Amino acid sequence: MDVISNLGLGFTVALTLQNIAYCFIGVLLGTIIGVLPGIGPVTTVAVLLPISFTMQPESALILLAGIYYGAQYGGSTTAILVNIPGEASSVVTTIDGHQMALQGRAGPALGIAALGSFFAGSMATLLIALAAPPLAAIALQFGPAEYFSLMVCGLIAAVVLARGSLVKAIAMVVLGLLLGLVGSDVNSGIRRFSFGMTGLADGIEFVALSMAIYGIAEVVYNLEKQRAASVVSAAVGRVWPSLADLRICTGAILRGTSLGAILGVLPGGGALLAAFAAYTLEKNVARPPRRFGHGDIRGVAAPESANNAGAQTSFIPMLTLGIPGNPTMAMMIGALMIHGIAPGPRVMTDRPGLFWGLIASMWLGNLMLVVLNLPMVGVWVRLLRVPYRLLYPAIIVFCCIGVYAINSKPFDAFVMAFFAVFGYVAIKLDCEPAPLILGFVLGPMMEENLRRALLISRGDPMVFVEEPISLAFLLVAAGLLLVLAAPAIRVRREEALKE
Amino acid sequence: MRIRAPKDFWSGVMFCGFAVVGILAARGYSLGSAGKMGPGYFPLLLGLVLAGLGAILIARSIAVDGEPLARFHLPPLAVVVVAVCLFGAMIEPLGLVLSLAVLTLLSAAAGPPFRPLEAIALTAALIVLSVGIFVYALGLPINVWPSL
Repeated sequence: MDVISNLGLGFTVALTLQNIAYCFIGVLLGTIIGVLPGIGPVTTVAVLLPISFTMQPESALILLAGIYYGAQYGGSTTAILVNIPGEASSVVTTIDGHQMALQGRAGPALGIAALGSFFAGSMATLLIALAAPPLAAIALQFGPAEYFSLMVCGLIAAVVLARGSLVKAIAMVVLGLLLGLVGSDVNSGIRRFSFGMTGLADGIEFVALSMAIYGIAEVVYNLEKQRAASVVSAAVGRVWPSLADLRICTGAILRGTSLGAILGVLPGGGALLAAFAAYTLEKNVARPPRRFGHGDIRGVAAPESANNAGAQTSFIPMLTLGIPGNPTMAMMIGALMIHGIAPGPRVMTDRPGLFWGLIASMWLGNLMLVVLNLPMVGVWVRLLRVPYRLLYPAIIVFCCIGVYAINSKPFDAFVMAFFAVFGYVAIKLDCEPAPLILGFVLGPMMEENLRRALLISRGDPMVFVEEPISLAFLLVAAGLLLVLAAPAIRVRREEALKE
Repeated sequence: MRIRAPKDFWSGVMFCGFAVVGILAARGYSLGSAGKMGPGYFPLLLGLVLAGLGAILIARSIAVDGEPLARFHLPPLAVVVVAVCLFGAMIEPLGLVLSLAVLTLLSAAAGPPFRPLEAIALTAALIVLSVGIFVYALGLPINVWPSL
């Protein structure tokens, strides 16, 4: 069979001593930078990009990919223990994961995150191997109208996730979209919303915005509560989840993996959207509907499985179409071009060793990550014993160095300070920041797809409802909104979130 | 007319404020048409939607009872924000070690129980750790000492 011979070829590439070593370095670095707040895979990959020129292209991609999916594992550790998403895709993990840690169940939360991620990673690797060609064909048929409607659907789903007022959550999404447009417009070259500041020419740095809100503003908010609310002082406990935990999570992991794998393939989706969508889905279908938002283990299992599956399958559009789904994938394309390989559909046929070797290395890397992560959780236990008054300056320091390091731009520290004030005010006014972050990431892509869709249709907005796939996405979005706006359900939702 | 839901009211004011800034700035960019969107088209659209949502919040806060405003604790916020800005101002001319010393000491002072000896020990530890991880292990291009 094709798949078996292809994977066989992949493993002969991935299992050379040199590539095993690069894979290990990649996932180790990924775990570390995933744990460290303020420095993400994008920075690390960028720093390593010039170094990768000296390697074989196979080794370079294996190393860089390891950093990316390794960070998904590491990101969940800080999300659960200190309520800072090490990675944007771990934002939703903070909701239930950190609550679990506050209740003394940090161990099972970390355990289920690692196990769910491993299962999702293995399944996603298999899925890429089995379905890369046909799935790529589906994504190839998506036009700008479909992408735009998909993003609308994803953003509405994010609103379902937010606590409190629907109107505030939608407003935060729109504000996020607006903030995402700051900087040079790709089509006209005009610098928008830079207010004369050259530091804003490239837009608002994502790291600055997310660290400001989830790092600095959160620290300040916790300081006034006197007790160490954001950091666990209790023991992590057993890392292995109990049988009951596993039984509860089986469905969540399976659903998270499937949803994450599907959303990962779509450009603009990837790990971030996958985690948000999986959490929302889980909150609505899980039975018995327990206390989501207050330490439900399925609220960790589903998004963690989904973001790993999504991180993995987001390689599909990059490898098969040459379209980057996220900044890290853009770096991967950069790495390919450094080696003189044109990204696109021909990579699979022209360089089968590269394509299948990378896929085989992903499974290998996921195995290494579980071995690396579960025993290493013991290292983080010590971090937890540190009192908050010693820990919070460290959080501020890592945020500041991280925000400076990403572009070597001191200006980003001022951006972070500004949004720290904004984040604090937003928390005080009960405006959930998660929808803002998602809107911010999707802003430029949404504008681009709207522009293209309307260009093709000569300005006729009906194009969004005439294309069946686009219509389906919009109907789902409208359905979600209608359901949420219905008074009876709104009351029940508020009760459920308040619990 | 009485504000019955201060939290919603001030959220609405905040969103309207951002919307006004967005719309005013977007006026300077060419609008284009739906079929040929200019750089001002999407921002204006978003600004109008945001203003509408802010208006809904304000209107609702006058009609329906809601939560009172939470107390703002300004001193810790101000100290931390000043510390972050000082870091931004100092990092390139003065280098990582001095910037981190100021950042860490100020941050430690933002919390209620300030213990000078502990803060100094923490500062030293964080400087060693940061230089080790970011400069030596990750090789990020950061000045460690003042560049004269």
